[in-house]
Amino acid sequence: MTKRVLAVLAIALLAVPAYGCVPELSGGGTRTLEAGRYTLAYRASPPEIPLGKHFSLEIAVCANAGAPLPDSVSVDAQMPEHRHGMNYKPSIRREAAGRYRADGLMLHMPGRWDFIFELRAAGRTDRVTQSEVIE
Amino acid sequence: MIRKILCIGVLTIAALPSWGLAADNGVLDFTAGELRRIMQHGPWPQAWSPDPSNRVSGQRAAIDFGEQLFFENRLSGSGKLSCGSCHVPERDWSDGLVRGEGMQTVDRNTPNLVNARYHRWYGWDGAADSLWSQSIRPILNDKELASTPQHVAQLLRKDAELACHYQRTFGKSPATVTDDETLLVDMGKVLAAFQETIVAARTAFDEFRDALARGDRAAAARYSLPAQRGLQIFIGKGNCSTCHTGPRFTNGEFHSTGVSFFTSKDRVDPGRYEGIRQLKESRFNLLGPYNDDPARTTAVATRHVDLVQRNFGEFKVPSLRNAALTGPYMHNGQIGTLREVVRYYSEINPDRLHADGEQLLKPLKLSAQEVDDLIVFVESLTDFRTNWKRSTGGEPSCT
Repeated sequence: MTKRVLAVLAIALLAVPAYGCVPELSGGGTRTLEAGRYTLAYRASPPEIPLGKHFSLEIAVCANAGAPLPDSVSVDAQMPEHRHGMNYKPSIRREAAGRYRADGLMLHMPGRWDFIFELRAAGRTDRVTQSEVIE
Repeated sequence: MIRKILCIGVLTIAALPSWGLAADNGVLDFTAGELRRIMQHGPWPQAWSPDPSNRVSGQRAAIDFGEQLFFENRLSGSGKLSCGSCHVPERDWSDGLVRGEGMQTVDRNTPNLVNARYHRWYGWDGAADSLWSQSIRPILNDKELASTPQHVAQLLRKDAELACHYQRTFGKSPATVTDDETLLVDMGKVLAAFQETIVAARTAFDEFRDALARGDRAAAARYSLPAQRGLQIFIGKGNCSTCHTGPRFTNGEFHSTGVSFFTSKDRVDPGRYEGIRQLKESRFNLLGPYNDDPARTTAVATRHVDLVQRNFGEFKVPSLRNAALTGPYMHNGQIGTLREVVRYYSEINPDRLHADGEQLLKPLKLSAQEVDDLIVFVESLTDFRTNWKRSTGGEPSCT
């Protein structure tokens, strides 16, 4: 029995992606992404992204070994199958070191949307994309 | 890819019985995905709370005053036109014309006012972000009522009946308000309070949707099979529900669907592009001094709306509630009937769409029966029972 529990735990640990650092954001609905020199986590507010209503994103970023914290962070969303983005330009503000809040996002059609995060530091930009399907 | 399913949808569908229904039971065999999409078009009516940007929203005195002003010809520069001249109650608060007729013929079809209280943007171009600021626009527009803030303010100050209503609504005499623009905005706010009361009743579709939600097979079967087949096209191969979303059957946003934006051989209607530009310049927007909500809680859209080139020639997606009563259709009224609208999308010419436009619109090539079914479905979104009319005959009710 103990062996079985250990095996399950081992598999579970292997299934967890190893990130270069751990952003200070967790809890239900949090997604964590590798973004070049950074690891980024985000969570929507409200937690379930509503169709056709404005929402916000809480974002946490940490720098992998040797990288500076980003000078700026931005987020946008695109609907690749329809070849358009949002009708709104989100505003983003730094709330603490490595913590940001993006307001004013709105996904106005159901389907696949790609969130595009850009992190800039020392003249370089690291970019990561994450897809969400909105119904 | 992470699939997000709204909790409400999951709970609702989980609660639905597994009927395995076929058409001969009176209800089509909708898939779980179709049922989820059907549920998103309700419930109706939607919950509503007073508009925080309008301090008299929802107040009885303001609603009564607003109704009186809505039909008040003296608001116009000519003294011959009122809001009710184009937004005719018996015509579902529109006019049945291709393009509106004010002091001149305007470039656009007159939108109806039913359910206006739920909108995010107002007008085909969304140049207003509140019902009260939208109510000011036609009054000052030279082609519509062609009035001025001075004219409106003087009328409110000098007419005893209107001044009495103002006092009752705002708690002070309009004679004590020296700024004409303030009185103009107050007029917009009482007009909005009245228009907020114009809400469509439940329809045959709403009864069907709610019957599905509660698992009432007998009640669901009262919804005709052609309407159900039309609904299946609407949420399926027709892609209609991609833009006509939610309980109001609109996402409230703006799209180019290939309808001409030329108003004459040498003049164009820029649509949303000009709408955003005007919105940002307007003193009456929700970021401006006349928003009664210090927290600006309803100004998120205004603060973040983005003006981009593709907005040129985009127009607002109209709600399909009451669509059977609101023809002619499209922003310029160029399509006369629902059947022609369905045919337009069925046979749409992709060459007419913006080169960098959306990839959503493709010819649907609907069969004759599919066209008929889709029309029956859209008609089922219409409240045929409410007999709109003025609650008063305009007789003095205050002095």
